[in-house]
Amino acid sequence: MSIKLLAPACAIVLAMLAATAYGVSNGTDAAPPAPHNGTAAELPANITIMETDGVLHTIPLEDIRYGGVPKDGIPSIDAPVFRNATDAPFMDDADVVIGLRINGDARAYPLFILVWHEIVNDEVGGAPVAVTYCPLCYTSQVFERVLDGEAVEFGTTGRLYQSNLLMYDRPTDTYWSQALGTAVKGPLSGHILATVPLDLMEWGDWKSTYPETVVLSTDTGHSRAYGVDPYGSYYTDPRILFPVNHIDDRMPLKEVIVGMKIGGTYKAYRQADMESHNIINDNMGGVSVLLLSEYAGNTRVFDRALGNMTLTFAYNGTALTDAETGSEWNYEGLAVAGELAGERLVRLSIWPGFWFEWVAFHPETLVYGDDQD
Amino acid sequence: MTRIRPAWQGIVAGAAVVSVYLGVVVATTPALDPAPAISAALQLNHIVIAGMGVGVGLQVYISGRARAAGCRIGSRKTLGGNSGGAAATSFFSFFSLVPLGCCGWWLYALSLLPGVLGTGATAVLIEHSQTLAYALLAVVFGHVGVAAYRLRRERSPVPRGAAGV
Repeated sequence: MSIKLLAPACAIVLAMLAATAYGVSNGTDAAPPAPHNGTAAELPANITIMETDGVLHTIPLEDIRYGGVPKDGIPSIDAPVFRNATDAPFMDDADVVIGLRINGDARAYPLFILVWHEIVNDEVGGAPVAVTYCPLCYTSQVFERVLDGEAVEFGTTGRLYQSNLLMYDRPTDTYWSQALGTAVKGPLSGHILATVPLDLMEWGDWKSTYPETVVLSTDTGHSRAYGVDPYGSYYTDPRILFPVNHIDDRMPLKEVIVGMKIGGTYKAYRQADMESHNIINDNMGGVSVLLLSEYAGNTRVFDRALGNMTLTFAYNGTALTDAETGSEWNYEGLAVAGELAGERLVRLSIWPGFWFEWVAFHPETLVYGDDQD
Repeated sequence: MTRIRPAWQGIVAGAAVVSVYLGVVVATTPALDPAPAISAALQLNHIVIAGMGVGVGLQVYISGRARAAGCRIGSRKTLGGNSGGAAATSFFSFFSLVPLGCCGWWLYALSLLPGVLGTGATAVLIEHSQTLAYALLAVVFGHVGVAAYRLRRERSPVPRGAAGV
């Protein structure tokens, strides 16, 4: 009995020892690659692109850590199957989903499925997108998966950068950091992916907001224990048990924040603040922004500029109005009554996640509230 | 030939079990350097790690004492059961290592389990992995208790079968 039980353990040890090799070398500066057509664009000029043994990279190669899983060992979902909201018995109203609505096509991606796959390659409202989730950092992001005008698929590399998911695009094998949205190793190093505004929301709230929504089903083509979260109590445990490059005590490590990147400015907003205030009128990076939170765990951000006006918003518990014209606005950023009826605010992308991850990638970040008191 | 004392045998065996456990931790969390990986495992599973070391060490010690005294307590079978219990305890306690790395080896291992056990059983094992680890640790100590009891009985001055004569 003992040998039968111990043999697999020994096999595990030997297999893992055999799989841990990963060669790195120091980088040297190289010319930035030619800009790409399509949605990928060059990084800001302050990013240095290096070359090591003919491989372009923007981060030290030794900081790319092997997680112990082969490429695509955590398989992306490439042929997602959806169910109508009324035909989804596997969903509970409290389940958190990444919500996406493009050209009237509303879709929900439950985190309890994404935790096993991390990437869904999908097409929403005619737009090819990659819906991504990194459980360790609680970061969700949706990228346009278009390079050189062609839709491409993303997969998991099995490698990490600062404990965050590193994806790769299948045509060029370039590595992309989920937390940065940039190519960090490979031929496209120095390019960024366009992001799509997303919602993190409980399923009950999402389907009541968009009754026509469909939801990603557990028919993923993979057999997984979707009912349970393998990360257990990690999300509520205040500790992190792995090293991060930059610790900042302005907030607890696992405070859920909404990160914003505008120009070269980074700012973090506590989700808890959002939910207590419902709205925040703020300025960052030269842009006037409106942050709205009507549902638990959810925040939307809009540009407050409309034509040559910069609007200031107020919320009285039932209606959102602007101080300049008294027009009434809905949660979509659409003026539904008043002088500005029919006008729409530009929605901005957000970077939700745990504080420790945001500040590890953006140590210079501002924090909303720190400069307000 | 000099025989190693049972106490040393037990200490060596317990240390070996802990070393193997931590070796598996290091091997399966390559995203972390060995020191933080071991530190994290100790923080997460210190009861299991210490318990297995002590449990297996005690078992080896008792077996050694029994051999030295010429007693037959079924030590090989009990030791085998204890090793299996320790391996199973380790296995379930390793589930708690998933948060040590996004896309980590243990997430990968858990994702393969449904192919062997089915999704229902896998879900139960994941959800109750800590409870199962502690339950199996109790089994390890149960084996130790049984072995200690047998040794004590074998070394009792009452002749075997005396009550029935």
